Amino acid sequence: MHDPETLIRKGLPKGHFKDLAVRLMLGITTYCIVIIAALLFFKIIKDGVPVLFTAKAPFVDLGFLLDKNETLHVFDDAQGLRHQLPASQYSDYIKSHGEAPIYNEQTFSYSGGGIIGPIVGTALLTIGSMVLALFFGVSAAIYLSEYAKQSPFIHAVRIAILNLAGIPSIVFGLFGFSVFVLAVPVITSTPSDRSLLTLPLFIGDAVLSFQGWNSSLIAGCATLACMILPVIITASEESLRAVPQGFRDASLAMGATRWQTIRTCVLPFSMPGILTSSLLAITRVAGETAPIMFTAAVAAKDDLPWQALANPFDLLSSQVQALPYHIYTLAARIPASEYTQRAQYGSVFVFLILVATLSFGSMLLRAKLRAKLKW
Amino acid sequence: MSKTASAPHRFNKSGLSLEKAIKFFFASNAGLTIVILVLIIVFLLKEGLGFFPGYRRELEIYRIAGLEFVDLSRQNLTTHEQLASVLNRAYYAEINGKCARELKRSREAAALFNAFSDQTTATRDLILNNLTAGIDPDSEMLATLRKNHAANVQKALAKLPPTPHLTLTERTALIDSLRSRDVTAKDDPPLVATLTEQYAAAQQVQAKPLAGLRATIDAFEATGSDLSTLVSEMTTAVTATKESLQNADILEKDRKTLLAAAARAKDPAERARLMADAQASLAEQADIDGPMQSLMLRKPTCIEAHNALRQTSSEILTQLPTALSQPEAERLLRAARKAAPVFLTTLGQAPGQISQWRHDTRVPLSAAIRSFLTGKDWVTGGEWQDFYGILPLLVGSLMISMVALCLAIPAGVGAAIYINQFASGHEQSLVKPVIEFIQAIPSVVLGFIGILVFGSVLRDLSQLDSLAWVPGFPIEERLNIFTAGCLLALMSIPTIFSLAEDALNNVPSAYSEASDALGASRIQTSFRVVIPAAFSGILAAVLLGLGRVIGETMVVLLVAGNRIKIPDFSSGIGAFLQPSHTLTGIIAQELGEVPLGSVHYRALFVVGILLFTIVLGINATAHKFVSRTQH
Repeated sequence: MHDPETLIRKGLPKGHFKDLAVRLMLGITTYCIVIIAALLFFKIIKDGVPVLFTAKAPFVDLGFLLDKNETLHVFDDAQGLRHQLPASQYSDYIKSHGEAPIYNEQTFSYSGGGIIGPIVGTALLTIGSMVLALFFGVSAAIYLSEYAKQSPFIHAVRIAILNLAGIPSIVFGLFGFSVFVLAVPVITSTPSDRSLLTLPLFIGDAVLSFQGWNSSLIAGCATLACMILPVIITASEESLRAVPQGFRDASLAMGATRWQTIRTCVLPFSMPGILTSSLLAITRVAGETAPIMFTAAVAAKDDLPWQALANPFDLLSSQVQALPYHIYTLAARIPASEYTQRAQYGSVFVFLILVATLSFGSMLLRAKLRAKLKW
Repeated sequence: MSKTASAPHRFNKSGLSLEKAIKFFFASNAGLTIVILVLIIVFLLKEGLGFFPGYRRELEIYRIAGLEFVDLSRQNLTTHEQLASVLNRAYYAEINGKCARELKRSREAAALFNAFSDQTTATRDLILNNLTAGIDPDSEMLATLRKNHAANVQKALAKLPPTPHLTLTERTALIDSLRSRDVTAKDDPPLVATLTEQYAAAQQVQAKPLAGLRATIDAFEATGSDLSTLVSEMTTAVTATKESLQNADILEKDRKTLLAAAARAKDPAERARLMADAQASLAEQADIDGPMQSLMLRKPTCIEAHNALRQTSSEILTQLPTALSQPEAERLLRAARKAAPVFLTTLGQAPGQISQWRHDTRVPLSAAIRSFLTGKDWVTGGEWQDFYGILPLLVGSLMISMVALCLAIPAGVGAAIYINQFASGHEQSLVKPVIEFIQAIPSVVLGFIGILVFGSVLRDLSQLDSLAWVPGFPIEERLNIFTAGCLLALMSIPTIFSLAEDALNNVPSAYSEASDALGASRIQTSFRVVIPAAFSGILAAVLLGLGRVIGETMVVLLVAGNRIKIPDFSSGIGAFLQPSHTLTGIIAQELGEVPLGSVHYRALFVVGILLFTIVLGINATAHKFVSRTQH
């Protein structure tokens, strides 16, 4: 009998049913959200699992993960047997069967083969943009938390961060397109017609031409990095500030310079926090479609990014496939039919697993970190 | 004393040092955010601001070439056609409503047959193809094919759509006839044919009492023919003028490029060559006076046609019946009756506009701005004239956001209140990660779900008879404002939830303790003390959710239906079940296809500027609310 209510009053307290009704309503609302989310995952998993997993030993359809994306050909041979072959196997089939007629041929773009191209493309875009964003973001956060004093400059920086965080991703797409694709400087001997400005460099006939990087991996990385920068800065600053002031004071009192203090007494302790929150940023970068639609992504590509390159640097200036853009193409540009379902649900399932792993990992890490770092 | 204090310490070296360089490096990285923000604004403006002069020139050509003059008549013609089509729809809605049973039965039988044919065509064609190719009818291969076909037929028969309006015997008979259907049969199965005939017969019976209405509609449709001929004649004439004007513009632009290149050229010979080229491409003055005069000569005919149309229409429209029996037909008829006087008034004003119209009135820049901000048409890539009116996109964006917020505010804020105020620790640790995880779902995946699953579910739901009372049901398009709104609600719930929960959390515990001490119940404490104290924080959460919804691209691009038209509000709430386009969607859809530097390209950047401004405005307001909640 610890509840004072029951000690004082007999029977149900006044307004008990109202209380119950309100609680029930709010609870139902909450669990509705949970149920809808569960249904959503269930649907994707139900349709995706048969694509990715097989009953036989290695239990995973490696072909879907590791093959290149191709057009799917569906046709009947003269025996009435239905074949579903990606373009490369289809041409082999035609060659080997020579004159035998085929009937009811249908083709489905992007639906055959596997999705190694989009997976690799997304990985490259994510790594590239995270490297850029972490370098600039953490540096900016160090300035904000370690050096900055109240000044108009800092105020402007904070306003800029706040505003950048709210800009819609499609506007970042426009920005990336007009700046990184069309306007940033490149060194070239043959400036293009649309170059905004050419400056002579006096080395051979090379000039600095403001003509942009075209639609390329590097342009996409730069656009995504700009988009994710405010998130990284805010999270890093929080992690840096979580390091107790005593650490810095002690270090400075021992005669260390400010940079030595940051390098040895602040950064090492805040690094786990920074990396954890950047995992969450990775999910966002990997999932964004709008900023890369015009800056990096391409719907169909025959080679993997590193194949068929004249020199390694061309990797940065070539377009890539990307998983979210691939899903967009599959959902919007091709009709839904039983033959495209494998590509559609399979891609979404793989993508969701990827994102789920990242965000689940960041949640676990964060929980672990909170338990470990207590000062 | 003060002098020594301000002087640097003697250990402190003046000038560059490593420490200062490092500090400067970090500061410059922090400044990068400002640089990016400035770059975004500068480049959006650089690409976007050229739009208005370019659009002004397009509107000027539109006027000089006389397209605007033709449009004065054409608009009335279009209204006339729309009115006629509404009347026609009312007529058919009345008939179909009266023979609804026959219609449904015939449709269901046909749907069942179609589902069957879709499944079996492939194997059937295979047999037919082989037969026409002259295969031996007794060969083993044909037997295999027939076996395959039979198996396929069995498979198809196993999953046929439901037919709630057919009796069980009818359905069995139909399925039996499908089962025994010969491969070469081309006719519809007997039941499908009978039901179609029954439906046609019922239509004829129901059409008889409506013969008067039919005659009225036919007469009304016929009245437009004179004006229609006139408009199509004028169209050919003005299109030619417009083309020559545009060509002249292009030549002039080329000439300027050549002249600029000549000015830069270092080699005198090349400069002379470029200058000569420029001279050669000097545009001929496009001949506009001749065509314009002949166009002006048509003014009286035009006015006459309008007056005649007005005369006959007003007579015919009075003969419309006052009421129809079917609700849908009644609604359409009422809409037509409401639109008729407006149509007649505009027709009455037309002669004045036509006689006053002059091709040499100047087009000011403000006209271009006004046309952009208040234009009801976003028409691009057409042969007639491109218009860049923002209204259909803005209305689409706002309606989708409205649906999303109507769903997300109760759900998000309700869940936040529940989790923060009433839930046990276990519940918290279950619900919070789930909602956080929803936030991690990429928007393109949600769009995918919407396009492949949710849209179809909603359409099937809307076709149930028991839900026919819902306005707008059955829906015509499975991708519409409502579908997009629902998915966006799911997207914005995590934002609203976590920010609102933070706001509730930030209310000092002293508030609720004091309230408890005064004897308030749990619910009184929550709703009278804690929530009011957190109110501005919750408001900020909602605003930030709104910012997220308006700026979201992929979901609306995939799910909103992408029809560039202001929804038809005459159907009430049903307007939310129509497809629409959005500010974000239009950029994503069209930027990849437009030529660089064209007016259309610049228009997309202006849309981007608008979006940027709206979202930043919303976010700034939200942050103002946040800063007010410092307890």
